[in-house]
Formats: sequence, structure tokens, C-alpha cells
Amino acid sequence: MTRALTWRAGTQAGRRWLAPAVWLLLLLAACLGMAQLEGLFRLVEPDSRAVVYARADFLVLLGRHLLVVGVAGLLAILVGVGAAVAVTRPGGRDFLPLVAQLASIGQTFPPVAVLALAVPVLGFGTLPIIVALVLYGLLPIVRNTLAGIEGIDPGVREAARGMGMTGGQLLRQVELPLAAPVILAGIRTSVTINIATAAIGATVGASNLGDPIISGIVNGNTAYVLQGAVLIGLLALTVDSLFARLQSRPVR
Amino acid sequence: MIDLIHVTKRFGEETAVEDISLSVARGEFCVLVGTSGCGKSTTLRMINRLIEHSEGEIHIEGQQIRAFRGETLRRRMGYAIQSTGLFPHWTVERNIGLVPRLLKWPAERVRERVEELMTLLGLAVDEFAGKYPRQLSGGQAQRVGVARALAADPDILLMDEPFGALDPITRETLQEELRALQARLQKTIVFVTHDMDEALRLADRLVVMHQGRIRQQGHPLALLREPADDFVASLLGGEDRGLKEAALLPVSERMLPLGPRLVARERVVQHATLREALSIMLWRHAERLTVVDDEDIPIGELSLRRLVGARSHD
Repeated sequence: MTRALTWRAGTQAGRRWLAPAVWLLLLLAACLGMAQLEGLFRLVEPDSRAVVYARADFLVLLGRHLLVVGVAGLLAILVGVGAAVAVTRPGGRDFLPLVAQLASIGQTFPPVAVLALAVPVLGFGTLPIIVALVLYGLLPIVRNTLAGIEGIDPGVREAARGMGMTGGQLLRQVELPLAAPVILAGIRTSVTINIATAAIGATVGASNLGDPIISGIVNGNTAYVLQGAVLIGLLALTVDSLFARLQSRPVR
Repeated sequence: MIDLIHVTKRFGEETAVEDISLSVARGEFCVLVGTSGCGKSTTLRMINRLIEHSEGEIHIEGQQIRAFRGETLRRRMGYAIQSTGLFPHWTVERNIGLVPRLLKWPAERVRERVEELMTLLGLAVDEFAGKYPRQLSGGQAQRVGVARALAADPDILLMDEPFGALDPITRETLQEELRALQARLQKTIVFVTHDMDEALRLADRLVVMHQGRIRQQGHPLALLREPADDFVASLLGGEDRGLKEAALLPVSERMLPLGPRLVARERVVQHATLREALSIMLWRHAERLTVVDDEDIPIGELSLRRLVGARSHD
């Protein structure tokens, strides 16, 4: 009986990890085995000399892509959650509309324009794209953190204060845990969007999975574009399903 | 124990509470009552500094409340509110243990205290300790709320319409239990409500507030018998005041020893209220009731004349 139960719990846990695992396997297989599909890409692009992007290893590009998105994501979380928390404290309330608006502007500003403006200041390479991604990814995080904290039953906050919790205890023990699912959803949106957006970094010399796409556009090679697009798509699906897995943890 | 001395609270231009003075003695059950917006909740929340008063002084055991940090002060007082404010992501056990843990009690002592309180409030430890607030009924949640307020054994308990959202039967049960609990634990309680029956049932000292001022305060019976003005009279129930008063007095207070006459057929238990006795008379068309004790043994009798005319015997 006990064994049957644990076995069942085991398979259930296994099933929840199934989607991320499948997407990850597909992603790695695509990275390693792109050359094997040469025949397929030849059909798309019969006239080109090379049909599989070979200027860099796909795994290396994947690693750099993840690094850029990861660093930008962490910064956006730090800044976004930090700002949203600050303006929901008694002392920072006056700045709430301002911060909400700034975050919205960050997202309406096209990342390409941010790149164009950032390159003269920061030079070519990875830095401008990180700046662009942080700005672009702030809004969902700020908005969801605000919604998550503001959405807490006012009675809970009043009781917490009435029981003698300090501001820090209220934030750490009550507000953040209760808002966590909503904040996580914001981070998920932000990161998933930025995985796709990061590709434009290739235009300013930040080498990542956008390279085959830009190179394909420049050289008129559709096969390159496809390879970059498929890999970015698979990466986005892998990360998104990982977040889905995190969010589906039982939330009390 | 709690002294408010000429306390005023202004929010910008508006005056929410104006020049109120109030003393609550140790072990006293003080109920603030009034219509919404009369300043009763503001007054309550000034006592634990959730709201800072603008003028006047508030003392707890002779010390100004501003001598303490807000958090320190609040941990010394229990606080229960209508929406319970239980933390939805914490179990019942963890919710009740909140203040003791804030006060850094050792874990073992917190656990013992939580179990003690759950037993005191009629919550089976095995059944409820691990439950989450959303798994509780309204009455159970409010019991947990009261247990949490009592957790660190505070001398003072502040309660803001704690039973306001409950159905009448559950509310009455909890009122009775709170009264019994208070008699046993001798807590000083300040309780806010807009339900006059609740106020009359619970209060040692009834404080009627209107438009930010105290209109009258004193023992419920004193207010019922001599309301200071028309507002207090109408808030206390207008023409129903006689019944409200009867609801506060036990039958035993008015009964006579068994006389030589035949024992009346209709009965009433000695700790029933005069109001209940009157209701039985109306319902049964009886002018005389036999008063019995808990074992249903006749110990006296109560006539309609005696019941209604009793005031002259005071």
C-alpha cells in the first residue's frame, strides 16, 4: 500500500517535470544535431553554399544567450521587485504612480531604440543589450509585484501590524510569501519575452542565438534564420515550462 | 489600567474623535458603541497606536503609550478584528503562536501555549492545528483570531467588532464564551461594536459615542434607566428599552419563594432572563411561572405583577 502510494506520488512528480524535460531534450538535440538536418535545410535554401550556420557552435551561442537573459532577468527582478516594494511602504507611497508609469514607459520604448541609444555610450557588445532587456522586462515584474502586494486582504495587514509585527517582518513573513505567485508570474512573462528579444543583441555584436538570424537576414539565407528561430523558440518553451512547474507548486 | 485624557484625533481638517476622556479599570469589560463613523474604531486603534492621537494623553498602567515603541506596545495587547486577519499561508497553530514567536519565546513553550489556547477556545488540537484558515468556518476562524489575541497572555484585549460577520447563533455562543473567559482570566477588554444587544450583553461599562464624542458612559442598566438624551435613548432601543433591560436581569433577581398556592404549570429556569420569562408568559398565556433550578426542582415563583412592577422594589 505504502509502496504503491509512493510510486504514484513519484510518477506524479515525474509527470510535472515531463514538459520541461522534453523541451530541454529537444533544445539540446537541436543544438547538437543541426548538422544532421542539412538535407532538410538544403530544401529551403537550394542555392546557398552552406545551409547550416557554422560560424560558432550552437551550444556556445545558447550559453551566451542564457547568460545575457539571466543577468538581465536578475537585474530586472532586483530593480523591479525592489522598486515595487519600496513604493508600497508607508514612506514611499507618494512615488507609487511615478514608478508604475516609469515601468510602463520602459516597455513602450522599443528595445531596438534603446540599443541604438546605448551603443554610443556603452560601446558594442553585451552591455547595451542587457540594458535594453532590463528596461523592457521591468514592467511585468513591477506591475505584478504591485498587484500581488496591493491584492493582500487589508485585514491581514492590519492584524499583522496590530499584533506588533515590524515593517520588515510584515514584508518578509506576510506580504512577500502571499504575493509570491503573482510576482513569479510577472517574472515568467518578463523572462520569456526577453529570451526572444535578446536576439536583437546580435546586431550590436553581442553574440548569441540571434547571430544565425541576423546573419541569415544579411546574407539572404533563410535556413540560418530558421535555425536561430527554432533554437530561441525551444529555449523559450523550456524556460516557460520550468516556470509553469515552479508556479504549480501548491500555494497555501 | 487604560486612561484616555482629553484625547482628540484629527485627520487633516476633519475631527474624528473630539476631546474624549475614558478610564477602563483592570478586569473591566468596556464596550464602545455607536453608529458607523462615530469614532469608536479610531478610539480603539489609538490605544495600541495603530493610529496616533493628535491631542491629549493616553496612559496604560500609568505610563504614556508614547513611552513605548509601537511594536512593543502592541505585543503587550491582544488585538482581534472582524475579518480575523488570519494569515492565509500559515496553519492555525502558526497563526496562534504569532505574538509569542515575535516575543522570542522558546519553541517548546510556544507549542504548549498554542495547545492550551486551542483547548480553551474549544478547538480540538489534533483536528485544527494543521489546518489553514480557508478550511475553517467563520466561527472557527474567529475562535482562532481570539486565541491569537490571547496568545502572549496580554492584560489588555482590544477587539474591533470581532463577531460582526458571524451568524446570530454562532455570534451568541462566542459572546457567551468571551464573557465567561473574561470572568475567568480577568482581562481588561475594550470592545467595539454597533450591535446594541451585543454591547448590552457584554459590557460592564458601556460607552455611547456619536460624532466623535462620548455622549454617555456607565453600567448598561444605568444607561437603560436614565439615558442622557434622545440620541442615547433611541440608540439603546427606544421603546424596546424595557425589554433590553429585562434581558439583562436574571429571573432569580425577581422571584419569590414558593408560596402556599398551587405550583404554576409553566416553568422557567432560575438563570433565564426576565425577558425570557416574559416571553414564556406571553406564549403560554400564563401570569405565573414556577422557577426551577438546573435539576428542574421548583425553588420559587414569578408573577407577571412581580416581573413588571419590580422596579419599585429596587
